[in-house]
Amino acid sequence: MEITGQLLLTVLMGAFLLGVAAFLARVEDWRSYTPLGAGGGAVGESGYGHSEKPAGLIRWFTTVDHKDIGLLYGAYATVAFVVGGLMVMLMRAELTTPETAVLGSATFYNSLLTSHGITMLFLFGTPIIAAFSNYLIPLVIGADDMAFPRINAIAFWLLPPGALLIWAGFFPLPDVIPAQTAWTMYTPLSAGVGNGNQMNVGVDLMLLGLHLTGVSATMGAINFIATIFTERAEEVTWANLDIFSWTILTQSGLILFAFPLLGSALVMLLLDRNFATTFFAVEGGGPILWQHLFWFFGHPEVYILVLPPMGIVSYVLPRFSGRKLFGFKFVVYSTLAIGVLSFGVWAHHMFATGIDPRLRASFMAVSLAIAIPSAVKTFNWITTMWNGKLRLTTPMLFCIGFVSNFIIGGVTGVFLASIPVDLVLHDTYYVVGHFHYIVMGAITFAGMAGIYYWFPLVTGRWYQRRLAKAHFWLWMIGTNVTFFAMVLLGYGGMPRRYATYLPQFATLHQIASLGAFLLLVGGIIWIYNVAVSWIEGPRVQSGDPWRLDETDLNTAEWDWFEAKRETSLAATDGGEDVTADGGQEIEDDTAE
Amino acid sequence: MDENPGVSEEYRMVSPWPLFVALGIPIAEIGILFGLVPLAVGGLLLFCGSIAGILRENEYVSSAWRGLAGVSVFVIAGGLALWYADTATASDLLIRAYSLIGTGVLLLVAGVGGDLFARDAEPGL
Amino acid sequence: MAEIFDRDTLLDLTVNVIPLGIILFFVAAFVLIDPFGGLDFYGRVLQMGLLAFPLVALAILTYVSGKAIAGDEKRSKVFFQGQATIEGSPEKHEVEEAIEAEAAGETDVEDPYGGDADEDESEVDPDADDNDDNDDESDVDADDESDESDESDADEDGEVDADEK
Repeated sequence: MEITGQLLLTVLMGAFLLGVAAFLARVEDWRSYTPLGAGGGAVGESGYGHSEKPAGLIRWFTTVDHKDIGLLYGAYATVAFVVGGLMVMLMRAELTTPETAVLGSATFYNSLLTSHGITMLFLFGTPIIAAFSNYLIPLVIGADDMAFPRINAIAFWLLPPGALLIWAGFFPLPDVIPAQTAWTMYTPLSAGVGNGNQMNVGVDLMLLGLHLTGVSATMGAINFIATIFTERAEEVTWANLDIFSWTILTQSGLILFAFPLLGSALVMLLLDRNFATTFFAVEGGGPILWQHLFWFFGHPEVYILVLPPMGIVSYVLPRFSGRKLFGFKFVVYSTLAIGVLSFGVWAHHMFATGIDPRLRASFMAVSLAIAIPSAVKTFNWITTMWNGKLRLTTPMLFCIGFVSNFIIGGVTGVFLASIPVDLVLHDTYYVVGHFHYIVMGAITFAGMAGIYYWFPLVTGRWYQRRLAKAHFWLWMIGTNVTFFAMVLLGYGGMPRRYATYLPQFATLHQIASLGAFLLLVGGIIWIYNVAVSWIEGPRVQSGDPWRLDETDLNTAEWDWFEAKRETSLAATDGGEDVTADGGQEIEDDTAE
Repeated sequence: MDENPGVSEEYRMVSPWPLFVALGIPIAEIGILFGLVPLAVGGLLLFCGSIAGILRENEYVSSAWRGLAGVSVFVIAGGLALWYADTATASDLLIRAYSLIGTGVLLLVAGVGGDLFARDAEPGL
Repeated sequence: MAEIFDRDTLLDLTVNVIPLGIILFFVAAFVLIDPFGGLDFYGRVLQMGLLAFPLVALAILTYVSGKAIAGDEKRSKVFFQGQATIEGSPEKHEVEEAIEAEAAGETDVEDPYGGDADEDESEVDPDADDNDDNDDESDVDADDESDESDESDADEDGEVDADEK
């Protein structure tokens, strides 16, 4: 049996390698193909026209263009968001009853809980940010491409295998079950100790998948740091660097210090599980060591996820307020402050572990200090809108929703930073409500603001306005219904991570599930709107679709869009781009 | 709007290697972690081959064969480290050590052999 | 250095001085009140180290970034965010001077806070209208109007309704 298995694997592997070789031979054979010069980014005009990208799927598999990779990241994040969202809908369905009447088993609920967290944070959150930064940063800072285009591509392609490994337990593989460790993977449970089933290979696969996404994020971060430091156009000095690039730079710095640590901790855990080391065993480093290592990564991870969305909001919100961002430099410096301080607060996730009260007090002090830079940003956004000429477009609505939800999520967080409050609320739904206000209400909202704002830039088409607004309102209401109910559940003492609960919590749980249903409907509308509008939305009629010029708020990426439109109109001679009133547009453009 | 906008449209932005670098890593990781020889060997071959290809494409090495030979040194070193660790610890690492060393030797042979015999396959060098 | 860290820059940096102050407050509180008295030396070192490390790191980063940003402000042109590479975009100080002039002279300012009201450009520099596709300034207005008419099917938000397409 074992021999046959090995043989089968060998044959499959051999066939796969042959296939790869054949594919490479074909691709390499084109020879129309001029490799980039040594060192990547620093390539001048090579005189090749732009019909050079291969057609069809091969283009997407072989591209190293930052815009294509940005789109790949976006598509990937969307798929992950749908998967994670459907997982949580199953969970919310389960939680409509106090027993496990819907899913049938708490084990399956635990698997969904674990996968939902990891999927949303690592497979949706980080990649959707990478989608924006890959597409936009080179355009905004006036770079030709990323500093290391190939590393950029490698970083993306590590993600799909990572996702497959993380979800491996859900596939019908023999003897593989999904991990049930929760996204924090606390030892000793995740080390497979005890009578549970977490020694299963499904957990190893998930850890490997996480490790891959960590490697991917680190490669991306190195790339962004190098790009922002070395590839800026001459005029883009540090004083002229836009806020989104600043947040990405800070985020990349955080990734650079946080993710390798996660990778190391994961390897240690894998060694503990498979090779009988004792890093996290009681007789070795102790289970609490995992929590220290994990949260030393995990808290910066929170800011890795939230800083770039803050950057998007700081970038988009002024465009529809008719004014420049209030206190631009305050926002920049406070971003940097968050970056540094985020490494000094990790044990505030561990106040209830019996940690030495002296150390706990120190962590509380820094946790309270880190609230200031976030609050500064909030006031900057509000002041930007104050007395401005607001245009309530969909991206603007999402930005305002971000600020609103961020205030609730942030204020509930400040209370948690205080030790006495935390000891009461630790491991309750209050915590769940708090961080979902941030990750869903703030981070995802900013992501949606970005998607709608740059939709014309990427697709050259408009989305449907009414559907977009319906999406916003469903999500705004849904988010607050769901997660405020969770905050209240937490006050009532409902513990996290349970598939069952006492009957007195039923009403609030059902309200939360109702809110989640609104989120689902909004999400379906969003997917439909984006997909349909991408294919057949009305074409954008000018290079400045948001009419930013009127308020002098135009930015470099729209300038690029304008140039691209002109080039393509000139090149196709209007052939493809003619719409009903397109003829006039072309005349205008050529007349200019 | 002359200089930078759209520049990246105008030169070739394609490389076949990143996809396979990224596929090679997880396959090799799974193979080595679980001691599955075919996956370990195959994944490493894919990973190292793609690294050699990418180094050649960057012109960091003069031929992919030499890149292959260079990478093989690291694989053999890793295998030897595991071999040493096998005797020093209680864990059974021998099969993994042999996979790494074997793959490394394969790569080295391919690299040296290719560099000696297949030079004609690379016109223009 | 004296020139780089002038009054304006220091004012910008106050935003990071506040968290530094909070940390210092707790340092002082832990030293003076000593709520967990009778510490061993090692515990005290850890407790203070956990406060000192972020404090020092933040101070250093604030200094370095302040120097880079304020230094570049002094050395080269300053634009508003995202506009540096756009041809003909106005510099920050031009816009600010225009607003000040406007505020000093004219009372009939529609939007005193909007550092970007349309009136600014005419006073600053006629070319500053960053309609970057303008090769010919004389038809600035015509362009703007044609832009308007092109978007006649877009509603006031600039977005397009499905029914209207």
